[in-house]
Amino acid sequence: MARGGLRGYGTGLPFQLSIIPMIESNDPILQGGGECGSLLRAIDWSSNPLGKPAQWPAELRTIVGIALNSKQPMLIVWGPEQTTLYNDGYAALCGVRHPAALGGSFQELWYDIWEKVEPIITAAYNGISTSMDDIEFTMHRHGRPEQTHFAFSYTPVRNGQGEVLGMFCACVETTRSVQLTRQREAERDHMLQVFEKAVGAIAMVSGPTHVFTYANEDYLALVGHRDVVGKTVAEALPEVGRQGFIELLDQVFESGASHIGRGQPLQLQGRPNAEPELRYVDFFYHPTRGADGQVDGIFVQAIDVTDKLAAEQYQTLLNRELGHRMKNQLALVQAIVGQTLRSADSLEMAGKSLSDRVAVLATAHDILINGVGRTTVHDIVRQAAALHDGNREHRLRIEGPELVIASRPALSLALIIHELSTNAAKYGSLSTQDGFVNVRWRVEGNHQPPRFVFEWQEQGGPQVAEPTRKGSGSRLIRAGLSGTIENSVNVDYAPGGLRCEIVAELSSLQTES
Amino acid sequence: MPEQSLTILVVEDEPLVRMDIAEQLQDMGFKVLEAANADEAIEMLGGDTEIRIVFTDVDMPGSMDGLKLAAAVRDRWPPIRIIVTSGHRNVTMNDLPADSRFFAKPYKAAAIAQAAREMAG
Repeated sequence: MARGGLRGYGTGLPFQLSIIPMIESNDPILQGGGECGSLLRAIDWSSNPLGKPAQWPAELRTIVGIALNSKQPMLIVWGPEQTTLYNDGYAALCGVRHPAALGGSFQELWYDIWEKVEPIITAAYNGISTSMDDIEFTMHRHGRPEQTHFAFSYTPVRNGQGEVLGMFCACVETTRSVQLTRQREAERDHMLQVFEKAVGAIAMVSGPTHVFTYANEDYLALVGHRDVVGKTVAEALPEVGRQGFIELLDQVFESGASHIGRGQPLQLQGRPNAEPELRYVDFFYHPTRGADGQVDGIFVQAIDVTDKLAAEQYQTLLNRELGHRMKNQLALVQAIVGQTLRSADSLEMAGKSLSDRVAVLATAHDILINGVGRTTVHDIVRQAAALHDGNREHRLRIEGPELVIASRPALSLALIIHELSTNAAKYGSLSTQDGFVNVRWRVEGNHQPPRFVFEWQEQGGPQVAEPTRKGSGSRLIRAGLSGTIENSVNVDYAPGGLRCEIVAELSSLQTES
Repeated sequence: MPEQSLTILVVEDEPLVRMDIAEQLQDMGFKVLEAANADEAIEMLGGDTEIRIVFTDVDMPGSMDGLKLAAAVRDRWPPIRIIVTSGHRNVTMNDLPADSRFFAKPYKAAAIAQAAREMAG
C-alpha cells in the first residue's frame, strides 16, 4: 500500500479535529487505550459529526470500548459521514496519516486507494461483510521499513432495527505466516527450477486419482508435450493408463511403498495425436506425505532408456560380428600359412614370407579401421607398396580414380600388390636400376554390369620368362579379390615385363559382405 | 590312400581358403571340385554324378547360403552327404539335414577328410 503524503489535512476537511488537552473527556468507555485512548479523550466532540461520546448509540460505545481495550488492530467507521475511529494497533497501519486521521473521514484516510476501499466499505454499509486475507503495509515498527501483512474483515454494525450504523473491522497480522508461506513457495519454486532442468522426466501427481500437479520439460517431452497438469493420469495419458501403470500408482498410493521399474516397455504417444510408439523406460514412483503423515501424492521419475538399450544391443551385435570376423580372418591366415608352407623352399624362407604377408594384412586392417567404410583403392595401393619397400615408391607409378573398396577385396588387393612387388623386386622390373611399374585402375562403366579393372604393368626390367614352378605368391595372386563376383586374374609373362590384370564386378567390390 | 578316390565339392566364397582346403584334400587323395557360391554348386551337382560329399561354408553371398544349399542337396540329391562349416554363426544340428556334420572355422583339413571318408562309408 502506498504511503503518500497527507493531502489537504487541516485545510479542506469537512470536520475539524481539535485537540484541547485541558478538557479531557472522562467518559468511562474512553478510558485506557494507550495513545489513541488519550487522543480520543482529548477530541472536542462537539464539532464532530459523531457528537459527544455520552450521546453515542450503545452499539458505537460498545465497540469503541472493545477496540480501545484490544491489542488487535481495530477500526470503526461510523455514521453517514464515515467518521473513522481506531485503536493503537490500527494506528500503526496508518503510518504518518495517524494521528490526523483519527476522528476524520474514512475516505480522507485512504484517499490514495479509495478505488479499492470504497466498494467494500459501501458493501458493509449495505449490510454485506467482506474479508481480505492479505493486505500488505510498509510499517516502521522497529525503526526501519518493513513489509507487513494483515487479514481484514469489514463487518456491518446494526442497531436493534437492523439498520446499518457503521462498520467494524478487526485485523489480524499475518506477516509471519505470509513470510513462511512465501518462503515455502520460494523453496518450492527453487526445487521446481532444479527439477525443470534436471535430466530425466519428473512429475508429481496428487491424490488417489493421480492428478498431475507438476511435470518438468523432460517429462513433457516424453509424453509428446501434451497438457497434463490439472488432469488425472488416466485422462492426460490414456495409453499409459491402459498399460497397467494406474494400478501401479494405486498400489504405491495405498501401500506407501516406492516402486521401481527398469527397462519397462511402454507404448507412448510421442506427439499429440500420433500413433503410440514403443519406448523403454526406467521409472520410479515415490509416495509423498502431507503434514498428517498420510500419502498425499506420488513423485514420478522416468528415464527414457530406449536409445541406451538400443546402443547396448548394437554393441552386443557388434561384438558378436567381430568374433565372427575374427574367425574368418583366422581361417584366411590359416589358408595363407598353408599356401606358404606348401611351396616353400626352406623353412627360413617360409617364415620370412609368412611374416611379411601377415604384416601386410595387419596394415591393411589398420587402413580399413581408420577409413571407417571410406577406404579407397588408392589408400590400399599406396600402403601396400610403401610397406613393401618405401624407397621404391617413386618407381610405382600409381594412377587411378578415387574409388571406395570394401574390406574383403581391400585385404586381397593389399596381399596381391605385396606379392607382385615381392616378385618384381626378385625377378622383375624392380630388380634393376631403372625398371618401374605402372599401377593403374579404372572403372568400365559401359560394361554390363560395370566393372573394376586393375593393372600391374612392369617395364624396364630383365627379359621375362614364365616360371617353371608356381610359388605361393603366384597362388595368392591368382586367388583374386575376395568377396567379389565375376572376378578374374590374368598374369601375362610378356617378355617386356610382367603384366597382371584383375577384373571384378564393381558393386561387389564396393559392398561390404 | 583309398583305392578309388572320393569326389568332394568344396563350396567356399573366400578364394584363398577354398584353394587351401582344396589342395589339402587333393593331397589326401580326394578328387576335389570347387564352387564359389551355392548357385555354382547347384550347377555342378546337376552336371556331375560322382560327387559324394558337399563341404560348404554357411555365410556366402548369392541367392542361397550354405544352410539352404544343404537343404537343397538333401532334397534333390539324397545320397550326397553334407559337411558344413562357419565362422559366422552358431549353427545347431537342427539347422542341418540329418546325418550332416558341422565344423567351426578355422578347421583342420584332416578332420574334414576323416569325416568325409566316414560319411561316404
